[in-house]
Amino acid sequence: MFKLMFLEWKKLKRHSVIGEVIIYWLILMFMPMFFIKMIMPAFGQSYASAIELNFFIQLGFILFGGSLINQVFIEEYKNKTISLSFRYPISRKKLFMAKVLFISLFVFLATMISFILTGLTTYLLDQVFPIINGQPTDSDISTYFSSMIIGSLIVPLIGFIPLFFFAIWKRETVPTIVCSIVTMQLPNFSSFTNFKPEFVIAVLCILGALSIYLSIKTAESVGEI
Amino acid sequence: MNNIVKTTGLTKNIKGKQLVTNINLHIHKGEIYGLLGQNGAGKTTIMKMLTGITKPTSGEIELFGQRFTDRSKFILKRVGSIIEYPIFFEHLTAIENLKLHCEYLGYYDDKGIKQALDMVHLKGIEDKYVKEFSLGMKQRLGIARAIITKPELIILDEPTNGLDPIGIKDTRDLILMLNKEYGITFILSSHILKEMEQVVDRIGVIDNGKLLNEVTLEDIRKQRTDYIELLTTDVQKTLYLLENELHISNMKIIQGNRIRIYDLTHSQSDISKFLIIHEIGIEEIQKHTSSLEDYFYEQINRGGTIV
Repeated sequence: MFKLMFLEWKKLKRHSVIGEVIIYWLILMFMPMFFIKMIMPAFGQSYASAIELNFFIQLGFILFGGSLINQVFIEEYKNKTISLSFRYPISRKKLFMAKVLFISLFVFLATMISFILTGLTTYLLDQVFPIINGQPTDSDISTYFSSMIIGSLIVPLIGFIPLFFFAIWKRETVPTIVCSIVTMQLPNFSSFTNFKPEFVIAVLCILGALSIYLSIKTAESVGEI
Repeated sequence: MNNIVKTTGLTKNIKGKQLVTNINLHIHKGEIYGLLGQNGAGKTTIMKMLTGITKPTSGEIELFGQRFTDRSKFILKRVGSIIEYPIFFEHLTAIENLKLHCEYLGYYDDKGIKQALDMVHLKGIEDKYVKEFSLGMKQRLGIARAIITKPELIILDEPTNGLDPIGIKDTRDLILMLNKEYGITFILSSHILKEMEQVVDRIGVIDNGKLLNEVTLEDIRKQRTDYIELLTTDVQKTLYLLENELHISNMKIIQGNRIRIYDLTHSQSDISKFLIIHEIGIEEIQKHTSSLEDYFYEQINRGGTIV
């Protein structure tokens, strides 16, 4: 399986994907400070608030997941290179599983690195241009690390929501990306509803897991060219 | 005979449309088998099913004596192919594409890659991106990829598409060499019947998704009915002279004024000289040799015997 995942990496337009992830990192690095300074100063009350804000900012990597789904699944169908994979002595379920695991691992690592970069940037900038009240406590630091791990796990999971219907069934790029954007924004808009953001995130995680399950379960039939 | 490929009642429907129906193919080990059919006849669909790209709606495929199912995809390790047109990861180089293919098949032999590229006369292009290749070069690279692991069965869909005359000859020679020296079985499809005639041992004629006939080229040659067709100014006198002076009896009149001579004991030039001596005007004379093309059209027009 690791070998198949590695081959997915080799098939990828690596320069463009690495470029894309660097842009994400650069933008998200400065987002908490920008947001506190320009849009919602309330998040600058304490490091605990800033950490909460950052968690929602890092959900931006859901969109990166959509972009990877596009490259790893949709582009392969559009360019018919998927038919090369189908000719190899490997079951479609295994091929799809390798693709899903590859995307999961990539998005997980990218999100994790982004959390670290954003955390460090926010802290250093705050030392030079103080915006957030006080200094981070031990409790804040441990909260940050747990939010980093939880965030890095849920982002890839939620990112798979468009996989089954838009990517494998419909094989359409634009709806996949639009779905990722909408999904990414839903927890932020939960305040307009009676639902807590945690509940929305939990539902999205379930939908992501369901999408993965259906994609692999139906790989032999829906995945047909 | 040892069948390397056998299909039974192979059928493929997509969205209610029958692409191929009840195909019973028998491809023997070590032969070069040609699938003949017009565009849209179902050749590519059959090849896609044989290579696992698409699944049959019903029917069975046997490859190397084993039933080909999702659980027996390992059989595909013994099959090389180009289906429809050579597909590559265009943003990768030629060598990266070939290495990727080898890694999927668990084949690690850089010499094998070099040898395959040499066989298709592709040199100095290893580090060139496939997106920069012409169709002919892609076709050669596709053949290199199909033969790289020396599979026991190679399936090539229109392998000479996009190739120049030299490329066509090279491909033909390569197929014949691999078949002869390595005993590789080939399934080819092509719309260039003359090309097929020079390579294949046996053909299967496909029309409207049905296999009309499977026949060896040898049998077609035996069935051939070569004749000399003649158009003269005096049909009755010509018939009389041919029958009584040249003792030709196997001939017939077609379209009222044309004579077809099936008895070829006298050459075309002998008949011409003979008629001129007897002051018969020849408006047209030509020898007709029936070919695979004639056989193909005859099968298509007659509807063949579905096998």
